[in-house]
Amino acid sequence: MRLAADRVLGIVLIGLAAFAAIFALKLQIPFSYEPVGPKAFPLGLSILLAALSLVLVLRPGQSGSWPNKTLSLKLLAVLAVLLIYALLFTRLGFLITTCFTVLALARLFDAPWLKALLAAVLMTAGSYLLFTQGLDIVLPWGYWMPVFG
Amino acid sequence: MFDFLIDGFGVALTPLNLGLAFLGALLGTLFGALPGIGPINGIAILMPLAYTLGLPAESALILLAGVYTGAEYGGRMSSILLNVPGDAGAVMTTLDGHPLAKKGLAGPALGLSAVSSFVGATIAIIGLTLFAPLLAEVAVMFGPAEFFALMVFAFASMSVMMGKDPIKTAIGAVLGVMVAMVGVDSGTGVLRYTFGMAELYDGIDFVVMIIGLFAISEILLMLEHANRSDADDGMPPLGRVMVSVKELLSCKWAMLRSALIGFIVGVLPGTGASVAGAVAYTTEKRLSDKDNTFGTGDMRGLAAPEAANNAAAAGSFVPMLTLGIPGSGTTAVLLGALMLYNITPGPMMFTERPEVAGGLIASLYIGNIVLLALNLPLAGVFARVLTIPRWVLVPGIAILAFVGVYQLHSDLTAIYLMLIIGIFGYLLRKLGFSLAPVILGYVLGGLMEDNLRRALSISGGDLGILWQSGISLGLWIAAALLLTLPWLLPKLLAGKSADKA
Amino acid sequence: MKFNKALCYWPALLTLGGVLLTGTAQAQSGATECIAPAKPGGGYDLTCRLAANGLQETDLIDKPMMVSYMPGGIGAVAYNHVNGVRNDDPNLIVAASTGAAVNLALGKFGQYDADEVRWLGALGADYGAIVVKADAPWQNLEELMQDLQTKPGDIVFGAGGTVGSQDWMKAALTAKAADISPRDLRYVAFEGGGESLAALLGNHIQVFTGDLSELSSQLESGKVRVLAALSEERLDGPYTDIPTAAEQGYDVQWPIWRGYYMGPDVSDEAYQAWVDKLKTLSEKEKFAELREARGLFPMARFGDDFDGYVKDQVAQFKQLAEEVGLTQ
Repeated sequence: MRLAADRVLGIVLIGLAAFAAIFALKLQIPFSYEPVGPKAFPLGLSILLAALSLVLVLRPGQSGSWPNKTLSLKLLAVLAVLLIYALLFTRLGFLITTCFTVLALARLFDAPWLKALLAAVLMTAGSYLLFTQGLDIVLPWGYWMPVFG
Repeated sequence: MFDFLIDGFGVALTPLNLGLAFLGALLGTLFGALPGIGPINGIAILMPLAYTLGLPAESALILLAGVYTGAEYGGRMSSILLNVPGDAGAVMTTLDGHPLAKKGLAGPALGLSAVSSFVGATIAIIGLTLFAPLLAEVAVMFGPAEFFALMVFAFASMSVMMGKDPIKTAIGAVLGVMVAMVGVDSGTGVLRYTFGMAELYDGIDFVVMIIGLFAISEILLMLEHANRSDADDGMPPLGRVMVSVKELLSCKWAMLRSALIGFIVGVLPGTGASVAGAVAYTTEKRLSDKDNTFGTGDMRGLAAPEAANNAAAAGSFVPMLTLGIPGSGTTAVLLGALMLYNITPGPMMFTERPEVAGGLIASLYIGNIVLLALNLPLAGVFARVLTIPRWVLVPGIAILAFVGVYQLHSDLTAIYLMLIIGIFGYLLRKLGFSLAPVILGYVLGGLMEDNLRRALSISGGDLGILWQSGISLGLWIAAALLLTLPWLLPKLLAGKSADKA
Repeated sequence: MKFNKALCYWPALLTLGGVLLTGTAQAQSGATECIAPAKPGGGYDLTCRLAANGLQETDLIDKPMMVSYMPGGIGAVAYNHVNGVRNDDPNLIVAASTGAAVNLALGKFGQYDADEVRWLGALGADYGAIVVKADAPWQNLEELMQDLQTKPGDIVFGAGGTVGSQDWMKAALTAKAADISPRDLRYVAFEGGGESLAALLGNHIQVFTGDLSELSSQLESGKVRVLAALSEERLDGPYTDIPTAAEQGYDVQWPIWRGYYMGPDVSDEAYQAWVDKLKTLSEKEKFAELREARGLFPMARFGDDFDGYVKDQVAQFKQLAEEVGLTQ
């Protein structure tokens, strides 16, 4: 089963190539001045990708070590934190979301609670000052502000 | 003949302008070091500031040019220390720079790359002074057919990187080119792979792509490393802080050759530091990687792209100053800055506004020395970044990634896209792919398609245009040689020794 | 050790609190914002900076105007954002141009059309130009048009935009004026005006349909010849010697206006306040300097006048697009 990863990848990529090719064939072109047109490149690439992937399916290489169950859960947790950060970034504003994201990420990377809290507060304040005062970047404030004003 | 340069030094050596060159170099290094915030953002941020501060044109330009060259210096830091390119030009720097840091040679790697950057920039600035008008004439002869041939050459030189797994390298490059297909087709205006999302009309943004592919996937990989290497707790030792003269000398040819390549690529309109780094790295690997040590922390593999990307930064001033045509995305922004001051770049600039043209070139000389002076002794300080615990580093990368993308797009779709690309990047790396071919395919693929289609629509479908000119023919031959030499050379050598025997 | 850490922690929290408070104070003082629907450094950035610098230098606003970037589809992403999310923000204006009007006409702005937003006004304009190399055989537009009629296949046009973009429209309208279908044109799309200009100078294309402001340095050096300016009247400054297309008997005009719009649900007072502000700004001498520094020609249309102008333009482009078969 160690060799499976490359085979799965190869099959997925062939699927991707097929999808890309069908999409390219369906393109509607009102009119065009050129002999090549917008379909040729995607079609050629799809064929190339399918051919290369077929080699991968037939002659898979060594697949590396994959994360075990606890590590997978942790990976998903990191992704979830980043996704929540993205979801709330504009709604709650930079300061609150960043503070919680740093706290959560630091905890996931094995920082003790106190250090994690410290990092969260310092990094939020520091990056906020750097971005707004130093680099003149507009950061989202969040839509909750009017509630307080 | 060089009156403009003498005038220029007179301008650049005033206390205000010296201070601005220093400030620009410092800020540029900072911008370059922050992943996602590159020279373009840095200049875009400072440009209105310089203008509203009421700085005279030459002073503003000296500040902004300092930021530009500084960013090319700074981009290497996160490449070497974190394996995350600080900007587009520093993608190839990760290949050997990061392995060096892992070997415990982060200090020497930073020192070496500072010196290579200096050598690359110096050669290119001298080139800029001497050949500006001449080279601009050659550059303007590059039409779509020549650019297409150049892209073929670039892909051919990529085959050098095929290393141990040619199929995966090729798949990576193809995937990269396919990502470049997303968005409005520049020939016909047809929407390709946008799925009705306006956010995808302009294609997948370069910053989103590199931050996702490198920074987000790096966070996920770090989690694994953190959990696996519990036993050998802690970071690798920093090693010596300074690079030794012997190490520098071992890279001298790599630096000189790459500086030349970088300068020429920089002069070509439309290609900048990222292409220069790639071409220089692959050429150097082809020429001097006898023991197959490139990619595992070879000093020459670090010196080459760093010399080239700094040379390209200086080289891209050639078409900008002499023709008013930007040689890179960043010089396009600088061109906008000049327009703010009602200065129209072009051949007349050297005669009508010598204080601007000369001042800029002189300030490049000065800025370059300032940068070396700034970067060499501080290399050790920067190398200490590695001792920062992961629980500080990872949230730091996350904040920079989010703010970098948000600042450019003010839009969450770009951030979601960055996360999705990050997951793909992680999976590809786990499956044994190298990310460099993906990025190169993405950068070169779009140019390749556009220029092929332009060339053929100029000729009305006649394929002959592709190798009509001397330049394109030369590039085709060079590409063919690159692809066949590894097969032919051993046979030729074997033949020779057989003759002798 | 733990105690020490705890001591560090409280001042840090206080700092954060302070930042939060000052930040809130800033956010609530009615700071204005301009969205440039492009990457930093482009034409939209310039449009936003024109308003931001102008309003501040003439003291029409007391806090600097923030400029944020929202690239995508020549303004499509920002257009959807303003219609969907920040539809009633009284402090937000968005940069727009002729290019946006073209895409609105082609239906490339998604579900929204030109009637959705409140068009504020334009502060400046650039004009299209028909450019050939200095050693080209055509001395005036008439000669080019005659050659175009007899052998359209021999003359390659090029510009910095795709089929259907505003750069292409200039070439298409020129062809139409010579009674040639835009479909029979030979047109090559480049990435931006700089690349097209390089292709013209390198003899890869014969005619470049660009914008006047990006030509000034080439004009000075005498490397190119502008056959016609696509403006209503002759322009002054370095462009006085360039005849308009209309003067030469071809009715082609292509002003590229640079203006602003606001969300659809902005109150009439807020809208009127912005219209007045921009109008006042356009009359200041200081502003004329800023505008000229950015290579823009004067244009002053505000409020209802501008609103009507944009909608007429969009309708006109729609018609053209149907004529040449760009839209079904």
